[in-house]
Amino acid sequence: MNQFRSGDAMLTDWRAAAGRFEAAVGGAVLGQDRAIRLLTIALFARGHVLLEGDVGVGKTTLLRAVARALGGAYERVEGTVDMMPTDLVYHTYLADDGRPRVEPGPVLRRSEDLSIFFFNEINRARPQVHALLLRLMAERTLTAFNREYRFPNLQVFADRNRVEREETFELPAAARDRFLMEIGLEAPRDAGARRALVFDPRFHDTDALIAAIPGAVLDHAALPGIAAAIQHGIQASPAIEAYVIGLWEALVRPGDAGIRLPGIDMEALVQGGASPRGVAFLVRAARVRAWLEGRDWMVPEDIRAIFPEIMGHRVFLEPIYEMRRASIVPDLVRAVFETVPAP
Amino acid sequence: MTILPDGPVLRTGRFVLLAACLALPAPAEAQVRGVEVRTPRPFGYFLGDLVQAQVDLVVEPGFRVQAASLPQPGALTYWLDLRTVSVSQSDMGDARRVRLALTYQNFYAALDARTLEIPGFTVTFVSESEHGATTAKAEVPPWSFNVSPLREVQPPARDDPRDYMRPDGQVGPGDPRAFLMGAAGSAALALLGFAGLARDRTWWPFRARRGRPFAIAARRLRALAREPEAATGQRDALLALHHAIDAAAGRRLLADDLPGFLDAHPAYRGEAAGLARFFEASRRTFFGPGAGHDAFSLGDLASLGQRLARAERAA
Repeated sequence: MNQFRSGDAMLTDWRAAAGRFEAAVGGAVLGQDRAIRLLTIALFARGHVLLEGDVGVGKTTLLRAVARALGGAYERVEGTVDMMPTDLVYHTYLADDGRPRVEPGPVLRRSEDLSIFFFNEINRARPQVHALLLRLMAERTLTAFNREYRFPNLQVFADRNRVEREETFELPAAARDRFLMEIGLEAPRDAGARRALVFDPRFHDTDALIAAIPGAVLDHAALPGIAAAIQHGIQASPAIEAYVIGLWEALVRPGDAGIRLPGIDMEALVQGGASPRGVAFLVRAARVRAWLEGRDWMVPEDIRAIFPEIMGHRVFLEPIYEMRRASIVPDLVRAVFETVPAP
Repeated sequence: MTILPDGPVLRTGRFVLLAACLALPAPAEAQVRGVEVRTPRPFGYFLGDLVQAQVDLVVEPGFRVQAASLPQPGALTYWLDLRTVSVSQSDMGDARRVRLALTYQNFYAALDARTLEIPGFTVTFVSESEHGATTAKAEVPPWSFNVSPLREVQPPARDDPRDYMRPDGQVGPGDPRAFLMGAAGSAALALLGFAGLARDRTWWPFRARRGRPFAIAARRLRALAREPEAATGQRDALLALHHAIDAAAGRRLLADDLPGFLDAHPAYRGEAAGLARFFEASRRTFFGPGAGHDAFSLGDLASLGQRLARAERAA
């Protein structure tokens, strides 16, 4: 099936590299193949990722493993209630000579070289911090010390646990819309993986586990270029375009598309959302998946594989249904795919 | 008070008892012009017989019967019941005639022929004017009739006590056709109702048959294969088969779902290779670089549709 043109040899090489990357991360993080695949897609789609899950399922480990395998500079902050935007930008202290010093904070410290900025427990930070992050994510720039810093390779990975709600700040819709994906992480179901995670001492020392991953499997500096090549190299047929538009329409107006969910007023279910940016992200990520699967054209399966993670958090439900979001949105997405014809 | 035979009534076999109120001085009495009691006959009644009586009261115009003064149906004496009373009024010249139709029932078990008297009663009439109400009373006199015993008082002795009884009456053969027709009609209605219920509940033979999407698709594919020069024939054929597969699966089936579909519908497992090839061809045609060297010809598609339709029938 690999009918790439000769000029696309670079893409073929990179696909092999992506495979190595997945294998490297998968060696350290067990039973999360789907999350690793989605993270790989996000890397090559140049999108930011929000990981969501229970405490201790390996969100941080997964992101550290990805950062390690990707190479490049990596910074990490922990969200807290008293964190202010300036804490990200600069750091003040009294030096040995007794003079106050101002030094670049976590974001600026590695400046242009920063490839992964990892925001732990993002929902513990205040909205002011979210606002700073918004710009960082959307424009990959930051103004500080009277100049503008650019982060061409930057990708923001964030995680939040969904157990606690005290002292947390819900991410504003605008911030959530800027994340390419929201990946829900669960403990692996596979008994073998569970046994290994619990009994194999290799998985107990996270630092050693991460250190064992071969570093810099991918050339992080070349990622933006290869990402653009993928976007140009993967074709979208008119049929797939019609399919994506059909999915979009059905998601926003499920009642009109003939979707019925038990116990839900379909006309009043979806309030809005599913922004054009979201659908553009969807196609972007679908192209990456098609490339990872060894095709230079998209198929509906590419869309379906990434749809829940990309579109799920962009749909805004009526407040009455918002509390049951975790069960309604997957049902809605499944119904959309069972209804919209392809081709 | 006289009892006179009445000419026309005699012709019809009725006996008329005419009670004329002759006590003229009382002005209230003058307002009642006549009282007549007519019966079919005053003799020949047995235990349980109904005795009809018709009482005609002629009063001044403007008077009407006070309903409460009429005799009430019920037991009058231990041997006599009044069964029904009905009243009709009509104008007769310058007078008003009130006709009471009374039905009595006699329960007197007579041992010999004897005369019994039905008691009389009083009927009150009212005339209401601006100056007040005037009442008038009409006395209906008692009258008599003869009752007779049903059987001998001392019948001759018989050996078998059953001989005292009359034999049972013979019942003639009835005509069962009306009942048969009714029964048949009811049975037909019941069957019809049951059929409706069975249809509603999708019992046999209304059990919802699964549609046969592949049969429809196979027909369409055959039709398309007959005119291979049509430009969109290939795409239409692929679409027709897609629709059939979607209908069979109950949802939109993508190429990657094929193993799951075959697990859920083992009947089509024999066509796994053909279906996989179809999905690959469809993918290339609709989403990919176009049909490659392994393109499905319309004939191949039609024969795949036939085989799937056959598998569908067997399922």
